[in-house]
This record gives sequence, C-alpha cells and structure tokens, in this order.
Amino acid sequence: MVSPAIALAFLPLLLTLIIRYRYYFVLLYRAVLVRWVQDLVTGISREERVYQYILTHATPGDPESVLDSFDDWCNKVEFISHIGPKKGMILDRLLKEHCPLTVLELGTHCGYTAVRIARSLPIGARLFSVEMDEGNARVAEKIIRLSGFDDDAVELIVRPSDEVIPRLREDYGVERLDFVFMDHWKRCYLPDLQMLEGSGLLGEGSVILADNVIFPGAPNFLRHACRSGLYEHRVHRATLEYIRGIRDGMAELIYRGAK
Amino acid sequence: MGQTQISTGNEGQVTIYCIDTDGDSHGGGQEMERESKNQKEKKTEKGGATRSRRRRSEERSEERSESSRDGRKDRRRGGKEGRRRGRQGKEEEIKKDRKNNKNEKAKKQLESNTNHSKSSSSSSSSEEEEEGEKEKVGDEEFVVGSLSPEELERLKEAVDERKKLITTLRGKPWPMRKKLPTLRESQLFVEKYEGALGKGRGRKLYAYKVMMRKKWMKFERDLENFKTACIPWEMKIKEIESHFGSSVASYFIFLRWMYGINMILFSLTFGLVMVPEALMGRPYGSIPRKTVPREEQASAMDFAVLWDWGGYAKYSVLFYGYYNNQRAVGWLKFRMPLSYFLVGVGTVAYSYMVVIRTMARNAKEDGGGDDTSFNFSWKIFTSWDYLIGNPETADNKFASITTSFKEAIVEEQESRKDDNIHLTRFLRVLANFLVLCCLAGSGYLIYFVVRRSQKFALEGLDNYGWWERNEVNMVMSLLGMFCPMLFDVISALENYHPRIALQWQLGRIFALFLGNLYTFIIALMDQINLKRAEEEIVKFNMTAWQANLYNGTIPENSTAPPITVDPADVPRGPCWETMVGQEFVRLIISDTMTTYITLLIGDFLRAVLVRFLNHCWCWDLEYGFPSYSEFDVSGNVLGLIFNQGMIWMGAFYAPCLPALNLLRLHVSMYLQCWAVMCCNVPQERVFKASGSNNFYMAMLLVILFLSTLPAIYTIVSIPPSFDCGPFSGKSRMFDVIQETLESDFPAWFGKVFSYASNPGLVLPFLLLMVLAIYYLHSTSKTYKHANLELKKKLQAQSEENKKKNKLAAQKAANDLEQAKIMAAAEQQEKEEKQTNNNASRRGEERVIAIAF
Repeated sequence: MVSPAIALAFLPLLLTLIIRYRYYFVLLYRAVLVRWVQDLVTGISREERVYQYILTHATPGDPESVLDSFDDWCNKVEFISHIGPKKGMILDRLLKEHCPLTVLELGTHCGYTAVRIARSLPIGARLFSVEMDEGNARVAEKIIRLSGFDDDAVELIVRPSDEVIPRLREDYGVERLDFVFMDHWKRCYLPDLQMLEGSGLLGEGSVILADNVIFPGAPNFLRHACRSGLYEHRVHRATLEYIRGIRDGMAELIYRGAK
Repeated sequence: MGQTQISTGNEGQVTIYCIDTDGDSHGGGQEMERESKNQKEKKTEKGGATRSRRRRSEERSEERSESSRDGRKDRRRGGKEGRRRGRQGKEEEIKKDRKNNKNEKAKKQLESNTNHSKSSSSSSSSEEEEEGEKEKVGDEEFVVGSLSPEELERLKEAVDERKKLITTLRGKPWPMRKKLPTLRESQLFVEKYEGALGKGRGRKLYAYKVMMRKKWMKFERDLENFKTACIPWEMKIKEIESHFGSSVASYFIFLRWMYGINMILFSLTFGLVMVPEALMGRPYGSIPRKTVPREEQASAMDFAVLWDWGGYAKYSVLFYGYYNNQRAVGWLKFRMPLSYFLVGVGTVAYSYMVVIRTMARNAKEDGGGDDTSFNFSWKIFTSWDYLIGNPETADNKFASITTSFKEAIVEEQESRKDDNIHLTRFLRVLANFLVLCCLAGSGYLIYFVVRRSQKFALEGLDNYGWWERNEVNMVMSLLGMFCPMLFDVISALENYHPRIALQWQLGRIFALFLGNLYTFIIALMDQINLKRAEEEIVKFNMTAWQANLYNGTIPENSTAPPITVDPADVPRGPCWETMVGQEFVRLIISDTMTTYITLLIGDFLRAVLVRFLNHCWCWDLEYGFPSYSEFDVSGNVLGLIFNQGMIWMGAFYAPCLPALNLLRLHVSMYLQCWAVMCCNVPQERVFKASGSNNFYMAMLLVILFLSTLPAIYTIVSIPPSFDCGPFSGKSRMFDVIQETLESDFPAWFGKVFSYASNPGLVLPFLLLMVLAIYYLHSTSKTYKHANLELKKKLQAQSEENKKKNKLAAQKAANDLEQAKIMAAAEQQEKEEKQTNNNASRRGEERVIAIAF
C-alpha cells in the first residue's frame, strides 16, 4: 500500500506536465472532445457544419470572405485542421514569388487551402486538388464553387493520392508540376514525394511545400529531403493554426534534380 | 646599382633556387612571404618596383640561404677531407655543367614569369646572364673556403629577418593557410642557419648554445602541455564547454573544484582518524562497542547492510561509535580522541577558509566597472586561440566562439528590450506567489511525513512495510526532483534574462532544499532526544545487570579474577551519534541513487526512445513532445551544494562520509560528462555564466554556515553517549581539549590558556577583529573606487589621443592637398608659359613662313 504522502509528492510533477503541455490539452479538447459532442448533438459531420456556417456568413463569389468566415469558425466555434491564416501568408508569398502554372494540392479537406491557393494564382493556372474522402470532397467542391472558382481553375480529384500521382500525366494531361502542396496524411508525405520524383513531373525549380512537418511532424520526410540531395530545403517555423503555443513548421523544398 | 654589387658573390645561386622550384612549384603564398622578408631590398628598389625585380630579390635572399648551406657543407668537407679535393673538383665541374644547363631553364622560367608582368624581360634576362657568370666565380669561392664575413653578415640579417617575421606573424593580415607554411619554413630556416652565425672558434659553442636553447624551449612547451594534461578532466570540460556554452561548463568546473576539496577532507579523516584507529586501536571484538551485539549477529552480514549500514558496517571505523576513549593508542601514543575532535573542527575550518578564499579571488577577477563597452570588438579580435593545432580542437573552438557570439547578441537584445512593464510586474508577483505556495506545500508535506514516521518509530518499525519505513527519504527525493521542474515552468511567466532567471531558479530551489534539510534535522533532533531517554534507562539497567552478574556467579569470593563476559552480550546504550551518522549516510546514498536514476531514466532512456522511436512514431519526437532534455545547471549545482552540506553536517559522526562523497563525485563526473554529451541538447538560449561562479560560492558559504550550525549545536550542548565513541565518559565532547592541556602540556601553558580564554580578554579581541574587518572592507571599497576612476581616466585619455591623432592627420591631409593644389597651379602656370612660348614661337614661325 503506497502511502498518500508519496502520492502527494507526485503532485508537482503532475502540475508541471499540465502547465507545460497546456496547449496540447487545449488542442485535445477543441479538436476531439468538442467535435465529438457536436457530432452527437447536431447529427451531421464537422465539415457539413463549417459549410453551413460559411453559407450563412460569407459572401458568395468572394474568396476573401470565405476564408475569413473559415478563420472565424475555427477560432470561435470548433477546431479544424488546415493551413490557417499565419502559415497561409507564407504560402501566399511563395505563390507570388514563383507564379506557378500547374499546382497540385494533396489533401483538400474542406477546401480552405484550395481557395487560398486559387485566389493567388495567375490567370490560366490550374490547381489539381486531391481528396480521398468523399464526404469531405463534396463539401470542398461546394465551398470552392461558392468562392467563385470554376472547373478550369480548380479541379477536384476524389481518389487517394498514391493512385492519382502516377496517372496525372495520362488522365489529366499534366506535363510538369510547378508547385505541390502537401497537407494530407503525414505518413504519406514521403511515399508521395518519392512517387512524384519517380513520375518525372517535377522539373528544375518546382516547389514542394509540406505543412505540419513539426507537429504532428514528418521526420522521415524531412530526413529524405535533407539527404537525397535533390532539393534545396528550408523549414518555415510557425505555430499550429489557431493554437498559439504549439510549434509547427512548413518545409519548402525546391527541386534541383539529380546532380 | 648598389644592390647588384651586394649580390655579386652568390648571384649565380639563382640557378640552384630555380632548380629547387622546378620540382615543386611554390605557391603564391610563399612568394608573398618572401616579399615580406625582403622588405629591405624592396625599399632599395623603390625606383622600378616591377614584379620581376622583386622576384629576383626574393630569389636572392633564398639563394643566400642556399649558398650558405652549400658553403657550410663545403667548408666541412674542406676541413675534414682535404685529400679528396681532387675528386671533389671533378664533381664540382659536373655539377657546374648541370647548373649551366639548368641555368637556361631557370632563366626561361624567369622570363615567362617576368613577361606577363610587363617588364622589360630582355634586359632583365641579360642582367641575369651577367650575374650568372659572376656567380660562378662566387660558387667556386664557396667550395674552396668558408663563408666570407660579408656573407655572414647577410646571413645574419636574413636570420634576423626571419626571426622578426616569426614574432610578428600573428599580426599579419594573412589567411591561416599562408601563415602556417610561412611560419614552418622560417622556423626551419632559422634553425638551420642560426648555428652558422657566431665568429671563429666561438661558432661551435654558439651553435651548441642555440641548440640547447631550442631544446629547452621545446621542453618548456612540452612541460606546459603536460601540465594541462595533468589537470583532471580538463579536456572533457573544454569539449563540453565548446558544445554547451560556459554555463554548463561552469557546473563541471565547480564539480571538479568540489572534488578537490573533498579530496582534502577525505585525506584528513582517513589519514588522521580512520587509519590510526584501524591499525593501532583495539581490534574488532575486544570491547562491547567494537562488537556486533548478540541479537544482531544473525543479520549482521545480510545484503541489506549495503544500504542500511547496520550490522558489521555499523560496528567499524566507518562510524563514531566504534572509536574507543583510550587517550593514546599504539606505540606512537597517538592521541585518538583529540585527533578525532581536531579533525572534525579542522575540516570545517578548512572548508570555510577555502570557500572564502575562492570567493575573494573571484571577486578580484570581477574587476569592477563596465567592460561591456567594446564587447563585440573584443570578441571579434581576441577570441581566436592561436595555439590550437588540432583540427578537432579548432572545430570546438570555432563552435565555442560562435556560441559566445550568440550569447553576446542575446544579452544585447535583452538589454534593449522593453515591454509592458505593468504586465511583467504582475506576472512576476504572481509567479513568486505560486512558488511560495509550492514551497509551503512541500514543507507541510515533509513535516507531515516526519510526524508520521515518528509515530511509526514509536510503534516499532517492524510492523510496517518498506514504503512506510522509507517514506521520509522518498518524499524528500521526489519533492526535490519535481518541485524544481514546477519552478522552471512557473519562471517562464516572469520573462527574465536567462542568467537572472537562473539565479531566481537557484534561489527558489535553494529555499526548497533548505526547508527539506532543516525539517530532516528537526526530525533527527527529536530522535536524538528519544535515544537519550532510552540511554538513561539502559544506564540504570546496566548497573542492575552488573550487580546481577556479580551476585549470580561469584557470590563471596572478591579476590577471584573478574568474570569475563563475551562483549557481544554486554548490554549497551543506543549511541545516538552513530544513529545520526547512519542517517546521514543513508540520506547520501538515497540521494545519489535518486540522482543517478533520474539521469538514466530522465535523460538517457528518454534520449534513446526519442532517437530510435522517432522514425516509426506518428509525430516528430525530436521537435515535439518529449524531445531531448537540456542540462539543468541550477538543479545540478544545488544538488551538489546540498550534498556537500550534508557531508559537512554528518562527517563528524560518520568519518566515512568524505570517502563516500569522493566516490560519488568521481562517478558523477564521468557519468554526467557522458550523459551531457550523449543525451542532452544545448539550451535554446545559450548564455554566459561569468557572474554565477561567485553566486555558487556564496550559496556554498551559506550552506556551510547552516550545516555547521546543527553540528556545532550537537557537539556543544548534548553530552556524548556513555559507552561509545572517543568522548565517552566525558560530560561534553570539547572536554578533550582541556584534558590534553592538563596532561600533555606544561602547567604554565594551561594557565596562559585559561587567562586567554577569559571573557575580559576575548571580548576586546573580538571587538578588535570586527574593527579590523570593517577597516579592511572600507579600504578595499576605496581601492575599487580608485580603480574605476583610473580606468575611466585611461579611457578618456585614449579617446583624447585618438582625437588628437585624427586632428593631426586631418591637418596633414589638408597640407598635402594644399601643396598639391599649389603644385598644380605652378605646373599650370609653367604650361601656360610654355604654351605661350610655343604660341609665340609658332607665331614667329608663321610670320617667317609668311615672310618666305
């Protein structure tokens, strides 16, 4: 029988852990508990809820307004994992610098990032957005169309990414990808990157931007990027979207080809 | 040209030099270096400083060396083997032929060199040819005889130049890859030709002297290296410093210093107390206090003795109770009790002395005044260590300089930041409040546990399990482990500069540990009182037992020898001193164990998990949640200090404590060095620990004082046990002094001592001492002030000088400018005149032409 005094001596440890990792507890609460409760209460999925909110709050045809209402919802109501406004600025800057004509997005989720990318693309550029889950894809389609982007600007592909990448050239007539944005399953970053390398779609100067490389993190992906010698890489450090204290980062890889 | 004349003697040696260079193409670096060493010659060539000339002059100097070398060789040859002259002559001829051939080559090379430098190559080559012819004569001269005085002079000059170069090489604005070969080459040169200098017969002696001096210097350098190698753990600490910054290194330096102190303490107790008792005192089993009692004998060799320190360990030289109160032991008549007492006092006195002396020395290094004014310049220009030869060390040094730059930049940034002051203040107050709550909580918990343990002790410990018996130690260790973590988290609120934050953290942990320690001591005091009550009962029983013994066995025969009882069967008192010593030893052991286990689990296991689970985990372990641990400087320093405090407290009752501590420090030096290099990452905000060394010392002093207080209290106010320890039978422990004075010193000494210890004398003496301290303190203050003033003055003066120089330079520049303008004006005038003249002449011509 352990005495209560010894148990009490562990109290400082408990407090330390709680204080030090408070942001993670907040994240747990917002992303898991609130979602679970809301799912039970409303009976529709989180993505449907965000769509309803945007439908009631945003101006149709205006991507800015759609993005703003997205941010509002994520800040005030529930947590949903996408790039967020702060890291979005980095994304915008990169897009402005490179002016890509063909963009591939892996992991559309609700279409926030797709809208964000599409709005800063030059005229005539195409965005291929890949989403595996059909329910999410339905919502994303509606949101993208609501923001005023048609089928030519943003094409939504509802298939797993590892099936899409090898067929991009044949089915979609893509010759070269100028910009790839990755925000799907963190485990798929590395296989998909290797598949992209193998497919020959990457050319000199193609940019690959991967979100959430530090939290939840994709160490294998980063290691490959460092060691393969095919890329110039740098990590943009930021915090996780909508939660202040969790460090996160985006990896920017510029394809240089084998030397 | 004067200088051609100079070089007539051996100009031809150009060829040799060129042949040399043919084989291994000298880099540009050497060229440059030659330039520098021939600065004199360059000066003479002011007129036409073309590249080819310079090159030639360089070559000349090179030749000089070559020629002298040859000359020496030849001389030796000539001296020793005059008979072979003929054959040698033939050889010489062949050599000359070869030289001539190569002469051509060399000339071609020279030409090609000179061509691109747009000088009149043809003329120079012709010159060269001339000189070459002259040189042949010189060559022959060398072969036949020794060096001419003129050549000697030149050689001497060259050697001097090289020497100068070696001394000034550090200041030269060259890259390292050029400096090193230059240095090596000039050193070789000097070494080779220095011996040739000196005159006539003294030459050999001179050469010998030079050689010996070289050897001596080399020996001195080696000795220096050896000394550095002899400083224990120096390399390890340097390596850590280069990777983790000076704050982590300061911990290890402190640890090493502590090790040194403990070494002295250990040698004192071991040499003057433990060894004499073990060698000359009565052997084990001779008297009751040196024997394991009958009821304990069954379990005296149990494995538990290793951590309980009961059984045979308890009845050995390791603890107070084993020592006999015999006044002198062995054939040396060693005064054991006196020695025991004096060693106890001496260790404490020595510790005080060392700590205070170190503090004073550190304070001296502090200097005073602000040295921060040219911080970055100092760092840029003075941080590289030119003595480094090992590339690995250089890497380390590089890393450490970079670290120090980072530190300086962080400091600069911190000093310039200003935030919302009210919010910061509120947060700081809040943080302190939280810390106070935490301290109070932990204090209450320990108090509660100690009370409970007393209850257990009264009821008999055997009825309780391991957890209950070790509750106090466990709770103390756990609190000591976890509370600093909590403080660390709380201190993030305060947003201090890391160094100040470290001091706050240190202060808080200090308070926590002090609370824990004093609660422990209070508990011990209670136990001492219990034991003394028990002792009274035992004393009473003892007389009854003795009476019983005599009554029972030998009723009416008083002349018979006293009956012998096995010492194990004699009843004995509880001996509170040994109990105190045992408690301290147990505390030290459990503390050490906690430290090591924390290190192994918290650092090593964590690092292993993070490292090897990272590639198959769903988030990034290295950046994210567990990550690698940082080295906790404040916690470790305080652990060390409190550990030392416990040693000081307990060493009187357990002479084995310094030995144990020595062992612990030795192990933790290696273990922590290894752990810090293998499982820790450098702090995110590296910072300097320059000021904190004295802070550690101040804390050590406080702890020393606080730990000697209870020890002195027990020694002075509690009578020693009646049947164990060196002071048994006396009413107080310090009575041993009086006893010695009475029996070992002459009577007058005792009288003097009694007079001297009279309060009428002691009080004025104390007063005098206080006055002296006050006086010294105030004088040191004034000196410091004066120093500061001087420093300021110096700075002001240097600035003034700078200004003056600047003014002078400006004035000179102005003068120059004016002179130029004047000259230009004059020239213009002249030109104008000329043009006028011309014009007039032309006009005249024209007139003439027209006339024609």
